[in-house]
Amino acid sequence: MKKMLQNYLVKTAEQFKGCSEAKRQSMFGVALAAALIAFPGGASAGEAPQVVTAVCGGCHGADGKAAAPMFPHLAGQYNVYLKKQINDFIDGRRKNDMMTPVVTAMKPEDVGAVVDYFSAQKPVAGAAGDAKLVETGMTFYQEGNSDTGVPGCVGCHMDEGAGNKQYPRLAGQSAMYISTQLANFKSGARTNDNGSLMRSVAAKMTEQEMNAVAEYLASVGK
Amino acid sequence: MNKFVLAIIALLCWPLAAMAEDVAQAQPEKTTPTGVPVQPYEPGIESSGYVWNEMKSEKLRALRALGDPLRGEIAIEICQGCHKSGAQGRPDGSYPRLAGQHDTVLIKQITDIRAGRRDNPKMYPFANAHVISIQDIADIAVYLGTLPVTPDNGKGPGAGLALGQKLYESGCNKCHGDKGEGNGDKFYPRLSGQHYKYLVREITYIRDGQRRNANPKMVEQIKPYSNADIEAVADYVSRIPPSATVKAATKVSENKPAAAGKSVAAHVATAK
Repeated sequence: MKKMLQNYLVKTAEQFKGCSEAKRQSMFGVALAAALIAFPGGASAGEAPQVVTAVCGGCHGADGKAAAPMFPHLAGQYNVYLKKQINDFIDGRRKNDMMTPVVTAMKPEDVGAVVDYFSAQKPVAGAAGDAKLVETGMTFYQEGNSDTGVPGCVGCHMDEGAGNKQYPRLAGQSAMYISTQLANFKSGARTNDNGSLMRSVAAKMTEQEMNAVAEYLASVGK
Repeated sequence: MNKFVLAIIALLCWPLAAMAEDVAQAQPEKTTPTGVPVQPYEPGIESSGYVWNEMKSEKLRALRALGDPLRGEIAIEICQGCHKSGAQGRPDGSYPRLAGQHDTVLIKQITDIRAGRRDNPKMYPFANAHVISIQDIADIAVYLGTLPVTPDNGKGPGAGLALGQKLYESGCNKCHGDKGEGNGDKFYPRLSGQHYKYLVREITYIRDGQRRNANPKMVEQIKPYSNADIEAVADYVSRIPPSATVKAATKVSENKPAAAGKSVAAHVATAK
């Protein structure tokens, strides 16, 4: 574990040529590792596991409602999906310089408690966005684009982004997070989708379509 | 003695040689730079020695599989984004109606697309082996066959119905049935309840050789059709009330092994 963290730090330092940036990232990793060592242990039912309050909560909110739009809300997300993402960050199938050291430092027995906790939290309610963009996004969500062969998102992600055990919940998610992920699937920066499905979808989506559908999804959910 | 030893060595190496042949035959999967699977190509009607609906590989295995409509109802999620809820398709013809189609027909078409005998680069990323298994194909096909066909499919302009009927009854009906009900045992699709614009597109593709898994008998039959003829016959068939031909829900049980097995057996028998 320690070695992995060291490797990560070396890698991060190489990635960021600007010295101060590398230092900042390294310190972030060290601080998180320290926090994980300082706050070990699981949680009792209903209460937030210590690792949530000490680590995850800083960005994702102690109740799973993220503090800033670049971070995804986790409240009410399916635990199977959350677990897969954590495992993918650990195994390098999903790449994120902030998440990888955090989840790598997590005790394996804590992962289950963390995902169950976030999954049990009340989902974030949708927030009204740009009405015209929301409408365009809703049409796209339901119909897709038959000219370019993009399926309607609703087929898998269900009505109003409710999701299910196979496909994540999207309702109420941060628009910035959704559009960033779609762009990452399109560019190939994110490749941990089952069966390349989301890469197939995003490859054919325009930036306008991504922004519209993200705005729509941020607006739905109670 | 030496010959005997050589013979033994040759026998021992035989499975290795056979394996090497298998590996050589398996085509490497093609993907885009970001990893999206690209539809392969397999020779179809444009090639000499084309055998329509040849019983081999995935098609044969999916037909033999015991399709379960309950599992199919779950596995169908991936199809709904395009084919819509209840697999009713879209009246603009962009995606066909699948509800009520014969399971054998659906298995033939999906496996033909997977093999690259029917060109459908849009569908391939959502129907390839990373997304649905052979068992899923059988489950989905059986489930779709149980869904009701509603009379709200897209229709044509209604101008050439007399011509359409005349054309339909002078050939199409022999395989597709007087009521457009098709024939599952022979892999002939149900046409009633299908969207007009989809029918026009596919009949045109078949006439022009663009639908590479087409039945050569049908290509021959419609070769003289003008575009107006195609539109007329598609309009006529899109107006045959599907209610008369809806498969009863009780047929689900019949779609289980006996029916699927029968289809394969029947086809193999006719092929001989």
